[in-house]
Amino acid sequence: MSNSIKRESPLQYFHGWFNKSSAPESLFNDQIDCDLVIKEAPLSAHLNLRGDAEDSEFCAAVTAVLDVPVPKVPGTYHRNGNTSIYWLGPSEWLILEVGGDGAVIEATLRASLKGHISVVDVSGGQTCINLRGAGAATVLKKSSVYDFEGWNDAQSAYGRVVQTTFAKASAAVSNRPDGSYDLVIRRSFADYLAQWLLDAGGEFGCRIESS
Amino acid sequence: MSRNRLKTHTGAAIDFTFNGRAYQGIAGDTLASALLANGVDVVGRSFKYARPRGIFGHGAEEPNGIIQLGSGAGTIPNLKATQVELYQGLEASSVNGWPSVNFDVMGIIGAFGRLMPPGFYYKTFMYPKKLWMTYEHFIRKAAGLGATPVEADPDRYDKLHQHCDVLVVGAGPTGLVAAREAARTGARVIIADEQSEFGGSLLASKQTIDGLQAPAWVAGLVAELRAYSNVQLLPRSTVFGYYDHNFLTILERCTDHLGLTSEYAVRQRMHRVRATQVVLATGAFERPLVFAHNDIPGVMLASAVSTYVNRYGVAPGNKLVLFTTNDNAYQSALDWHHSGREVVAVIDSRSNPSGAIVAVVKALGIEVIDGHGLIEAQGNKRVKRALIAPINQAGTEVTGAVRPLNCDLIACSGGWSPAVHLSSHTGAKPIWDESIVGFRPGDSKQQERSAGACRGTFDLSGCLAEGARAGADAAKLSGQGEGNIQFSACTVEEYQEQPQQALFLVPHSKSTSRAPSQFVDFQLDVSASAIELAVREGFESVEHVKRYTALGFGTDQGKLGNINGMAILANALDQSIAETGTTIFRPSYTPTTFGAIAGRDVNDLFDPERYTAMHRWHVEKGAEFENVGQWKRPWYFPLKGEALQDAVNREGLAVRKSVGILDATTLGKIDIQGPDAAEFITRIYTNSYLKLAPGKCRYGVMLKEDGMIFDDGVCACLGDNHYLMFTTTGGAAGVLAWLELWQQTEWPELQVYFTSVTDHWTTATVTGPNARKVIAKVCSDIDLSNDAFGFMDWRDGTVAGVKARIFRISFTGELSYEVNVPAHYGRHIWEALIAAGEEFNITPYGTETMHVLRAEKGFIIVGQDTDGSMTPADMNMDWVVGKNKTFSFIGERSLQRSDSLRENRKQLVGLKTLQGKDVLPEGAQVVFDAKQSIPMSMQGHVTSSYYSANLGHSIALAVVKGGHSRLGQIVHCPLADGRTIAAEIVSSVFYDPKGERQHV
Repeated sequence: MSNSIKRESPLQYFHGWFNKSSAPESLFNDQIDCDLVIKEAPLSAHLNLRGDAEDSEFCAAVTAVLDVPVPKVPGTYHRNGNTSIYWLGPSEWLILEVGGDGAVIEATLRASLKGHISVVDVSGGQTCINLRGAGAATVLKKSSVYDFEGWNDAQSAYGRVVQTTFAKASAAVSNRPDGSYDLVIRRSFADYLAQWLLDAGGEFGCRIESS
Repeated sequence: MSRNRLKTHTGAAIDFTFNGRAYQGIAGDTLASALLANGVDVVGRSFKYARPRGIFGHGAEEPNGIIQLGSGAGTIPNLKATQVELYQGLEASSVNGWPSVNFDVMGIIGAFGRLMPPGFYYKTFMYPKKLWMTYEHFIRKAAGLGATPVEADPDRYDKLHQHCDVLVVGAGPTGLVAAREAARTGARVIIADEQSEFGGSLLASKQTIDGLQAPAWVAGLVAELRAYSNVQLLPRSTVFGYYDHNFLTILERCTDHLGLTSEYAVRQRMHRVRATQVVLATGAFERPLVFAHNDIPGVMLASAVSTYVNRYGVAPGNKLVLFTTNDNAYQSALDWHHSGREVVAVIDSRSNPSGAIVAVVKALGIEVIDGHGLIEAQGNKRVKRALIAPINQAGTEVTGAVRPLNCDLIACSGGWSPAVHLSSHTGAKPIWDESIVGFRPGDSKQQERSAGACRGTFDLSGCLAEGARAGADAAKLSGQGEGNIQFSACTVEEYQEQPQQALFLVPHSKSTSRAPSQFVDFQLDVSASAIELAVREGFESVEHVKRYTALGFGTDQGKLGNINGMAILANALDQSIAETGTTIFRPSYTPTTFGAIAGRDVNDLFDPERYTAMHRWHVEKGAEFENVGQWKRPWYFPLKGEALQDAVNREGLAVRKSVGILDATTLGKIDIQGPDAAEFITRIYTNSYLKLAPGKCRYGVMLKEDGMIFDDGVCACLGDNHYLMFTTTGGAAGVLAWLELWQQTEWPELQVYFTSVTDHWTTATVTGPNARKVIAKVCSDIDLSNDAFGFMDWRDGTVAGVKARIFRISFTGELSYEVNVPAHYGRHIWEALIAAGEEFNITPYGTETMHVLRAEKGFIIVGQDTDGSMTPADMNMDWVVGKNKTFSFIGERSLQRSDSLRENRKQLVGLKTLQGKDVLPEGAQVVFDAKQSIPMSMQGHVTSSYYSANLGHSIALAVVKGGHSRLGQIVHCPLADGRTIAAEIVSSVFYDPKGERQHV
């Protein structure tokens, strides 16, 4: 039975979509470069975690389950292997395990955590897409008022993340050590954002990959 | 070779047309320089008097060369010829001049110019009011304000959000060195300039800097800046607005210099810049001199003459008379002389000018006539002669005989006015400074400083020093560098200048009111006499005079005329310029394309469309869609040949007779966890959830503080301290914000967390008498019997192989199962349910049928049947209000207000039209007496209305004053088309009043 169960990622239908305008580089002021690849991560575990950051037992229990420290510095994230914890607010985090099973993580966390906490599996509601290529920074500039370039000076002990407006939707944007960016976006806005990104990335030559 | 092109200047030929005639320019030309090269004297007609006008300036200040570019969809009105870069095939025409610039019927009216005093339009076209539209049409046509395209703009525009430490506005000498100093510190620098090339005044300068010719020095510095990775250079980019919090907007013209429309690229890009510090290096505008008939083609700014000669290799005439109040403009005489053409004379308003450059000019054998004014230009479509006369030292009177000088070009200079516009945008009031005879920028209101000519520093070495200082200071304040200047000062050769004379209105042998027109604002034909007349008519404030005379109202925004105009006004009011003050400049600095402001937020990207996981299935099945908030929901699923009503009839009957399926994914869903979750929810809803057991659901209504319904939905208890709240589709975000607001600001002691799970869950509602049979085919691990899984229960289980949560909630009044799965499985579960229901003819239905079915049951839709002024009692839903809650709930107190309790409130009822086929329009007004004369007493209105195929007649919900006690009465709905439909007030529950069908 399970073989016939169809799972669809939010950007599945956009796999292979491509946009490239033929704008000659001379038209712009040093802003055209090469390509932009928008790659959707495989279906993953996304969980919203709430709890008291000052509660060392809570943080220790989360780390014991996920083997990732709980980020306490605003706007940062920690990653270990396929698992990341993103700071979303003083008492709120996003747990993302690439390819993971949200229900399993939820159950494990619930068994380990005590007190006033909240664990919510939101795996079906969002997806993580990676923007790489020389056009990525400019596309972010087209899409959001946030100063992503300002991250260039940041310490490298952790990654940076921000929840912000993105075009007319929202995204949690984070940087990767390889210079690319991850965007966690909501499923219902995925079609809009895919079209927005294809449009914005057209001048660089832009394609979407989804497994 | 065009007749005015200097032989020393060559370049690739470019063909273009102006007013239908073909011309040739060369690469690097602006439209203005190309027209001048071709000897085109008249480029337009003036606004009011239709006088012939020629190119006067060389940049953003140009008042006369206003042109329309191209035709059709991409046509652009009101561009300045001085700012349009020439490209192959350019087509341009004058915006003014009807029917043509060389034969202008308005020119005849212009002969009666004295009949059009300031305020002419106010005075003449005031009465009768109804004729204004006629007048306006005539005025517009006559004035020639350019034509907007009637087709959609074919071009592409976009926006970039930029951040920098230092934004340098202007890439003249001051801006360039400021950028270099800031760049050296590692600061993120953006430097923008409206021209195609960086360099500003240096592009047309014959000066040397550090031993290099000015343009070569500029090229070296620009190359140096390009090498910095932390510097962004933006040529062709106008900083057009300076707003609060150091937010500035830049319009970059990416492809305008290549052609009219660009199919493949961005035509213009708006940069929205958040700058930590700003250096304004916007330069200065040369001030024209106001003498009689100073608007005849062939009169130009002295700096414009130099620019055309030095930068574009164009000598726009043969015999030059230069009229100046200062040393600086003597350079134009030198430049003209070196171009090989004749300088007839230099007229200097000062007596015995003694500056170094004066001696240089005299040494070349050029006649310098001092203590004189050029009081009048003569000629029709081109200057023929200048009348000069001795004037007194104050510059107020002609003191001797007038004599003519034959010439075909008059260059004039009344000094320089700092470009304080951007500083003024911040709210800084410009300050008059006698020593520079101009307004300086006022005290900074933002993190900005002005440097160079825009601050009143006009010598090159001073500009370079100030620019360096400003760049270093700005970088330091942005957190970069130590504030010391790191590059050694430039060595510059320049003449020491002697003081200029402040001369704002050149005297004529006749009085101002009798003399030929002495123009102050060319674009709107405001003359010195008009300003004086405005004063005589009682106007004193500069802002009033501006509006009365239209001084500075043109697209040049008074860049040339304002200072002279204010000085003339001050003189007429017998007060100082400082006392008179200046008008405030506002964005935009130059006209800005609306397309650039809209950017890519157009067409399909104008507003996000939110889709459910089953969206593509709906599309494939030919669904028609309806907007619900930003969601696209299936409205109905027409079969071939079906209209809306046909489809809705079929879908509704299928649900009532067998089974239907609805995509209910869009309902808002909020996960609520915490020890105080039940208490919190109970305070939010009107009813209590304290005793709601796991596995159970309850319907609730939430009120604002005023006691009025603002959302409703079902809330389920998922486990200990764990709830799932459903909201309306449109209310989801607002409800989550509402919960957070109360938790964070009012009840922080309640331990509860909220998380939106709207997108996580996909919901397929299977409803109808056969719903259980359908679910049973795909779900084997839940006991579906009514006893084990009853109405308002939920169960976890497996549906078609997927972990699912099923709720027995009904919005149709039928047996219903709402199947929820994580959205990745949405389409799978949907297709599995469709397949399972095939034998029962399971029918997908949309929002329209959903509305009909719920209206048959009298279920309200918040926002349709309520409008923010309805209490639960008004909706006949008192049963949902908890009467014995220990803690209050939001809105409870307001339910006891006298107004909430008064009789005759509008109350929800059903309406059944006497003729069952008549369907009342939603929004129809309800009256009790159909024969009452207008204005009738409005007693309520129809909120929902449909034809019910199931019942065989129309049904409507309405709110009617005192409606609950009026059951059985007949009301009337007068319609816009003159008909009146009579209806009986009935219960709002039309179908299955006991609610038995959903309990089976």
